[in-house]
Amino acid sequence: MLDIKKKLEGSRLEFDLDGRLDTITAPQLEEEVKASIDGITELVFDFSDLAYVSSAGLRVLLSAQKTMNEKGSMVVRNVSDEIQEIFDVTGFSDILTIE
Amino acid sequence: MNTSWDNEKLTISLEGRIDSGNAAAVENEINDVMKEKNPSALVLDAEGLDYISSAGLRIILRLRKKHPDLSIINVKSDVYEVFEMTGFTEMMKVEKAYRKVTVEGCEEIGRGANGTIYRIDKDNVVKVHNNPDALDEIQHEREVARLALILGIPTAISYDVVKVGNSYGSVYELLNAKSFSKILANEPDKLDWCVDEYVDMLKRIHSTEVPAGKLPDVKETVLSWAKFMQDYLPEKEGKKLLDLVEAVPHDDHMIHGDYHTKNLELQDDEVLLIDMDTLAVGHPIFELGSMFNAYRGFFELDHDAILSFQKFSYETAEKFWYKTLAKYLGTDDEAVIRSVEDKARIIGYTRLIRRSIRRGGLEDPKRKAEIDHWTKELIELIDKTDTLLFENDLKQVKESKELDIEAVEENLNNVMAFVDENLEAVGCSMKSQMQIDIAVEEIFVNICKYAYHPDKGRAVVRIEVSDDPVQVKITFIDHGKPYDPLLKDDPDVTLSADEREIGGLGIFMVKQTMDAVEYTYKDGSNILTLVKNL
Repeated sequence: MLDIKKKLEGSRLEFDLDGRLDTITAPQLEEEVKASIDGITELVFDFSDLAYVSSAGLRVLLSAQKTMNEKGSMVVRNVSDEIQEIFDVTGFSDILTIE
Repeated sequence: MNTSWDNEKLTISLEGRIDSGNAAAVENEINDVMKEKNPSALVLDAEGLDYISSAGLRIILRLRKKHPDLSIINVKSDVYEVFEMTGFTEMMKVEKAYRKVTVEGCEEIGRGANGTIYRIDKDNVVKVHNNPDALDEIQHEREVARLALILGIPTAISYDVVKVGNSYGSVYELLNAKSFSKILANEPDKLDWCVDEYVDMLKRIHSTEVPAGKLPDVKETVLSWAKFMQDYLPEKEGKKLLDLVEAVPHDDHMIHGDYHTKNLELQDDEVLLIDMDTLAVGHPIFELGSMFNAYRGFFELDHDAILSFQKFSYETAEKFWYKTLAKYLGTDDEAVIRSVEDKARIIGYTRLIRRSIRRGGLEDPKRKAEIDHWTKELIELIDKTDTLLFENDLKQVKESKELDIEAVEENLNNVMAFVDENLEAVGCSMKSQMQIDIAVEEIFVNICKYAYHPDKGRAVVRIEVSDDPVQVKITFIDHGKPYDPLLKDDPDVTLSADEREIGGLGIFMVKQTMDAVEYTYKDGSNILTLVKNL
């Protein structure tokens, strides 16, 4: 289960994720990102309420990061220790901007 | 008034009505018989008794003065109420009349050490006890079956006691069940399936810890057999047999004691263990010893004898036993399997020889030949054996749970729920739990995507938790195309986002976060195992 809240302020788009980002829910997020990324220069993911990220979730994040590298910036906020650990193991800590 | 006399025990049958009108006459009659026989035990059989008044009750009280252990049996329910109301049921043993059941023409579905099991109707079976005085035995079996059920072993518990001829029977509900012996006899292609289920149940039994004092210790029993053998073995081998048994450490895990395929029933899709009266605690080698006898030991010189007992051939029994041992030990290495079999044979032969000698086997030429054969084998085995212990990681397995599910991504949440539920039960840290979840998702989704593509198939997810070290082991089994995900190259995790490929991370994460990941392809199955120390 993943609950996605979207906040759009001009060219800044924020996704607040609540739940699990896995094989089942990652396509949902991917759709949302694709559908609304046009004209965005600042993309923010808030992970305050995100409990879990699997490789399917990482793929969505990596693909979003690639897109944003061409047109602006991307930030992941409020990452739990457990998810931070996943980012460390996979080298995502160096790829993503984590606040 | 009828009386019967058996081995110092006098049974007096009470008939009709006993009230103030005839009480004195009845008492005189009883006293005459008592004087004549002077029995050491007295039983009143109330099968024909329709009514008893207080005058009759007073006779019983007076009899009880002379015979404090007096018991009353076969009491009709109206009469039982009188005994109950007057407090007699608390003073002495008063037994209700048992429902009478006949097993004539009924199918025999099982036979154990202490009785034979018949199907009496569609939903019920009755175990007729060999011992005519089996009430204590029935009580014992009911208690151990209850204990086993509480400890997580699927079994049937008897709900009624009946009279079958002169014996007692315990009645069980067993719907549409068939024994594994029957399956093996009629459906030879199911042999491997039977081995799998049979070994799963065996491991379940052997990894069940029993609270101290609840069940007898099988080692004590085997020690008594070994002592008996001192008179029938050369001194050196006799002494070594005792030492070998003595050296087996005490073990609080359950053993069934009579674990053969007649005692395992398939009821709908559920496997049930029956015939629980031999339940004990102890080292699994003792169980393997009696299992060896059930398939090989008993029938080594008379291969056809197994047909009347199990309904399948000696060849089937041999194959089933060998495959069972291989699966139980988790190895295909014949040398290892045979070496454990040899240890089991030591226990098996010891039991067979003692049993046959005690039943007069030495006086019968055919049975004497068997005893000689077993003894010769036993001596050779003892000479070449230095321990009855064997490599077996079973003891560490605390619990094992399995999920058999269609390998489709929609089932991911079911798999995760199954895994998480089991992890939460062991108190796994958030961090480890997430790492395990990620690994499980990765492997399961891989199976969904590739194993059966473009068709669909099933996957088994098994989770085992062990105590020492605290460890969780998760095994995935599918029957799809051979595929070793571990062969995939690791991604370069130092590359920048733009250089990184989308994907390829999953297996890498699994390898990084688990303590061991193993893949094998065996008998048409992909088997992938994850181990995580907690």
